[in-house]
Amino acid sequence: MEAKGKKDQSVAAALLARAHTPDEANRIFTEKIQHRPLFLTPSSPPPSDARAARQREREKKKQQRKKALKPKPLSAAQRRKLGLYDVPREGQKYALFEPLHNLWLGYIREILGGEIYTGGEGAAAKLTSADYHGAGVEVVRSGCVSRVGIKGIVVKDSKFAFDIVTKKNTLKLVPKEGTVFRFEVPAVDARGGSRAPGAEDAKGAAAATPEQHETDRPQNMVFEIHGDQFQFRSADRANKKFRVHFSKKL
Amino acid sequence: MLSLPTPSLYQASKCFVTHGVMSHLDPNQPPSKSKPWSTLTSQDFVNRADLIVPQEAYDAIHAKLVEGRRAPEFKRVVMSLHDILTSEFFVEYIKKGDILMLSEGRRDIDNVFSLESGILALFLDKEAYERAGLVGKPHGVKGRRGLKPRWIVQLDLTNPSMSRGHKGFDRLVYASKNALNASTVWLFCNMASTTPDPDPLSQHFPSGYTCNPRVMRDVSVIIPPLNPQLDSTILGPIEDFESFATEIYEWLSLVRLQSPRIQLGDQIDPYLCRYQIPGPSEQGSKICKISWQGFISPSWAREILVDVISALPSKTWFSFSTTTFSKGMAGDNSECTILRPPGSPGEYIMWEVKAHE
Repeated sequence: MEAKGKKDQSVAAALLARAHTPDEANRIFTEKIQHRPLFLTPSSPPPSDARAARQREREKKKQQRKKALKPKPLSAAQRRKLGLYDVPREGQKYALFEPLHNLWLGYIREILGGEIYTGGEGAAAKLTSADYHGAGVEVVRSGCVSRVGIKGIVVKDSKFAFDIVTKKNTLKLVPKEGTVFRFEVPAVDARGGSRAPGAEDAKGAAAATPEQHETDRPQNMVFEIHGDQFQFRSADRANKKFRVHFSKKL
Repeated sequence: MLSLPTPSLYQASKCFVTHGVMSHLDPNQPPSKSKPWSTLTSQDFVNRADLIVPQEAYDAIHAKLVEGRRAPEFKRVVMSLHDILTSEFFVEYIKKGDILMLSEGRRDIDNVFSLESGILALFLDKEAYERAGLVGKPHGVKGRRGLKPRWIVQLDLTNPSMSRGHKGFDRLVYASKNALNASTVWLFCNMASTTPDPDPLSQHFPSGYTCNPRVMRDVSVIIPPLNPQLDSTILGPIEDFESFATEIYEWLSLVRLQSPRIQLGDQIDPYLCRYQIPGPSEQGSKICKISWQGFISPSWAREILVDVISALPSKTWFSFSTTTFSKGMAGDNSECTILRPPGSPGEYIMWEVKAHE
């Protein structure tokens, strides 16, 4: 308070004098400005005796022990530091994931059943709740143009990105935002004959099209997924209902 | 969802007038850096070229230009970008030769590709750009890009790193197979003097065209005074030159359009047309006009100008103008018109009309 010069003092007093009677102004000035109490530790509790302090310490220790017993998920920083979810350098081999890819193909054919030949809304609903670890993916369209053309097997399907291992044994992390991914599933038995009608854009997340290249080659089901609408963890996606969303970016 | 029509920005073309003196012309070393020549070569593809000379000079011009020179040829072919980048076409024409190519469409609306002096320029809309995967720059008026931005991708194909096996070229080939795989109509012009022997273009069955010059002789018109009078005391010198330039450009354009208004003895009701030829002269003289139309390279236009200057006597006036293909949605084209006034050998006036795009 003494740091303020006489001039400032008079400014505060002058302003108060404008609004109050001189006695009031004087009282307010001395009580609330000049002799205002400055609390050093305003929220500290009143000084307690040693017994209360010891009791508090014991309570705190008990709480911490209880908390440590309860299992908590790792935070993002802890995960990154521990490196538990990284694929090690020796493990970034395309050949290692090919059996997984074949398993995934079998799994998808099993889910889709007959709809692998027809496509449409039913297939789209099943595909959105499917798991994509081990899927063969190609980035087809992206707001960041350097991602286009990345092709490989999905190693990790996290909430916002796909981890893809390419044929050249590199691991690429491709964010889902603003990116369109294409998946191809060859149907095992080459059924000649009727080719199903074109794609229906079902539920905004997946568009499914069956493709028949030649009559002697097996059919391929090709579908594209808009990453913008797909930003959920694979576990959360299982029961999620997808609705059509108008996309500003398309 | 209501979609309001996207506002389009139209900016009118601008005309720049230059009045200068040409340096002495050495036919062995055609100039390229100074003013009328650099403007001619800076145009990208020439669609139309017109030459207006007085009738007395016609014989000299005819001998040199029409008979002495081969008419420019161009071809129209249906190809896809993938065909251009692979096979013998790429090696023979692009790496070893010198060609000009332009694909069909308008740059603000369709995906247009152009190839000029080895630089491939792709004008793409948002979806094609995102699917192609090639790095490009934003194209179009900055403030109006909004929800539908357009992009331009420029690649130098004569670079030695643009060959099979290199990453940049492989990305371009991938794009041409997936996103840009439509086959479009192209105009093709081979600027080199020789064509490779098993012509790689023939497998796409091109149709060839020759831009034969069309001659209009003995046209009696009234010619306005073509010399700029710079020492007038009535108006200030700048306004005087501006009005002179505008009137002469108007007259030259009417000659190119073959308008009856400038012809001798034209009687039109002034209610229908109020155009009057500037200047006091009422006598007619004869002029002739030679025009070429097609897909022409700007270096050919420069050669024609060199020939004209060397063929004509130095006091004769002439006017040479070239028009390019239109680029944007508004369909305006850029143009370059050069006039040499009578009686002054090196002097020239150049009108350069630049479209907004």
